[in-house]
Amino acid sequence: MNTSFLRISIWVYLAIFFAYLLGPLVIMSVTAFNSSGFPRMSPWECLTFQWFGELFQDQRILNGIKNSLIIGAGTVALSVAMGLAGALMLTQIWPKLRATYYTIIIAPILIPGVVLGISTLVFWDRINRMLGLGADSFLSNGIFLTVIGQSTFIASYCMLVLVARLQRYDMALTEAALDLGATHAQAFRKIMLPFMRPAIASAAVLAFLASFENYNTTTFTFGEYPTLTIELAQKVRYGITPAISALAFIIVALTVFFALLNEAKLKRQELVAAARKEATVEELAGKIKLPSFFAGNMAAVLLVVFAVATITVVGTATAYNPAQCIADVREQKQLEAEQRIQELRKQREERRKQQEAQEAEQGEAQSAPKPSNNSGFGNVFAPNSLGGDGDDGASDTESEPSNNSGFGGVFDPNSLQSDQ
Amino acid sequence: MPGFLKEFFNRNGIGMGAAILGFVLFWTIGLIILPQLSMLDFSFRPNLPPPEIGGPKDVYTLENYKYLVFGPEGGSQDYNTVDLRVFFRTLVAAVCVTIFNLIICYPIAYYLGQTEGSHIRIFAIMLIIPYWINEILRAFALRIIFGETGVLNTLFVGLGIWDVPFDFIRNDIALYAGLGYAYILLMIFPMYNVIESLDRNQIEAARDLGAPWWRIHWRVVIPYAKPGISSGCTMVFMLSAGALAAPQILGGPSSLWFTQLIYQQFNDNNDWPQGAAYAIVLLVTCILFVLAVMRLFKVNMGDIGK
Repeated sequence: MNTSFLRISIWVYLAIFFAYLLGPLVIMSVTAFNSSGFPRMSPWECLTFQWFGELFQDQRILNGIKNSLIIGAGTVALSVAMGLAGALMLTQIWPKLRATYYTIIIAPILIPGVVLGISTLVFWDRINRMLGLGADSFLSNGIFLTVIGQSTFIASYCMLVLVARLQRYDMALTEAALDLGATHAQAFRKIMLPFMRPAIASAAVLAFLASFENYNTTTFTFGEYPTLTIELAQKVRYGITPAISALAFIIVALTVFFALLNEAKLKRQELVAAARKEATVEELAGKIKLPSFFAGNMAAVLLVVFAVATITVVGTATAYNPAQCIADVREQKQLEAEQRIQELRKQREERRKQQEAQEAEQGEAQSAPKPSNNSGFGNVFAPNSLGGDGDDGASDTESEPSNNSGFGGVFDPNSLQSDQ
Repeated sequence: MPGFLKEFFNRNGIGMGAAILGFVLFWTIGLIILPQLSMLDFSFRPNLPPPEIGGPKDVYTLENYKYLVFGPEGGSQDYNTVDLRVFFRTLVAAVCVTIFNLIICYPIAYYLGQTEGSHIRIFAIMLIIPYWINEILRAFALRIIFGETGVLNTLFVGLGIWDVPFDFIRNDIALYAGLGYAYILLMIFPMYNVIESLDRNQIEAARDLGAPWWRIHWRVVIPYAKPGISSGCTMVFMLSAGALAAPQILGGPSSLWFTQLIYQQFNDNNDWPQGAAYAIVLLVTCILFVLAVMRLFKVNMGDIGK
């Protein structure tokens, strides 16, 4: 009983945890398909694809994507190169220096991104000034500064990935190549690089993703080349629209797609390796019957399902026209709004009647003449305009809310005209 | 040429050796050390228009640091209460976020590390996917949920639990949830790596000897996982204290994060030295705090980052 209780509670905990982790992404993706002008799940109005169209017409977003790709390419090249050099150095540095060196190259991961951005900006600004270059020189270019600033810490990630593989490298291989007459450069290119290739590929992917989504450092260095993240941040800060949800949906879908693709490939490699292990020499020499891509490969099956779903959605998007539904919703909204206006009107009417009744009472009690509207001061001195609710007395017509101020109609040009 | 340098070039060849050394020096000195020193130097200078830089007025001063503590000169208050309060609140909130993440991530890391089966891989993918989504978009997702007409408010008002929508954003709940959300993975992975290498027999031995489950964790798992826990906590603390996107998007109108002050100094006030001074204060305080906590819990610096 105790173990089953424990098991259930573990599963409940896992469910809550993953709901916290994935729920926001799911909800955000769903809001991309709601026709409501504000990203929300409820009330659900109409299924629509218009936000995707809007997204692809947004010049700033497209420009941001272009800048992000350029900066990403630069960052990948620079940080993989520095990470590889740093990893090679780590394997052969003087032991006494090793700890210090390791601390220095690992520190950028822990330094807040804001600090890295500021220090990059300040430092290169100073170099620029020392060299006597103007404000539009290469060194103060947003792309250059962003690549430099991002590479500072992304190279550390790359170094960690690369050093893990480098530790399994047998230095004797390089030595053998050198003994056989290869130059150092040849040995590096033909022996070490092929061995490091998988790690370099994953370091490059990691570097690109880190560069693409970086905000803290880029926000200080981007200059005149805002990346996609910067544009998104500005949009999100000053009013949010479902077009951002549409972009998020695309990014989520791409991420899931590539994660599944990667997993399917890994699984297949495992299956192939397992099949090779069991196969006899004969089988290997003759026709190798390797397991097909889908056999026992859950991720591959999911991948296909995912692809089919995408095609269906895109197909529907081109054929589907939500205009009717949107018109319906708009009509309904209009009706609701009218109803509300009418209610308001009724309330006002009642209030006015009450007011008039009160006024009449007061007028009788004080036997004061009713102030006429003809004075140049408008209704400022009308007894009700200060103490009243604001929208009484002074404004007889409902359509003029500008009379709500305590000044009555003084600033209303019409009140002067009526004087003449 | 010193001996070790000669050996280095012998081993790597002149061309390759120069390339490696060049990249490493550019990275460590040109990108890491010099910019930090430059920022430190900059923070001690007054804010001058470009033509006056290097002129007679460009002298070292403590003005920028004084401003953080005492506020503008001749101000009405003795201390710069606004900025100082933001500073301490940032630190306290970062600690709270770290503890919150530690508590919710420890069971997950333990479960992933000690359970076998193919579903663990699926969980790992599900953990990584949110981390690949843009930081801004993650904050945006939480804003949809916590907004005044967001999912949570619609749900609770609809169920009749609350009469009026609860303002999560103004009460900073959205901010803390967003910060916790952003760095979950950085807490789980170091812990997972360590717990995965823990021999199951140790846990079973403890169980056979009659230890209840909480004592197994307290006496066996947690001491073993200490390096992982400390590197996870260090990363989450440093990153949430230095976070900028989540406070900008999820923070209420009145709640400022210290990084937002730095951002304002740079972009709105155009006072770079002041911003640099604030950044230095943030960096140094965070590092000292992490070192102090590590000493308190007797963790070595070498364990971090493993």
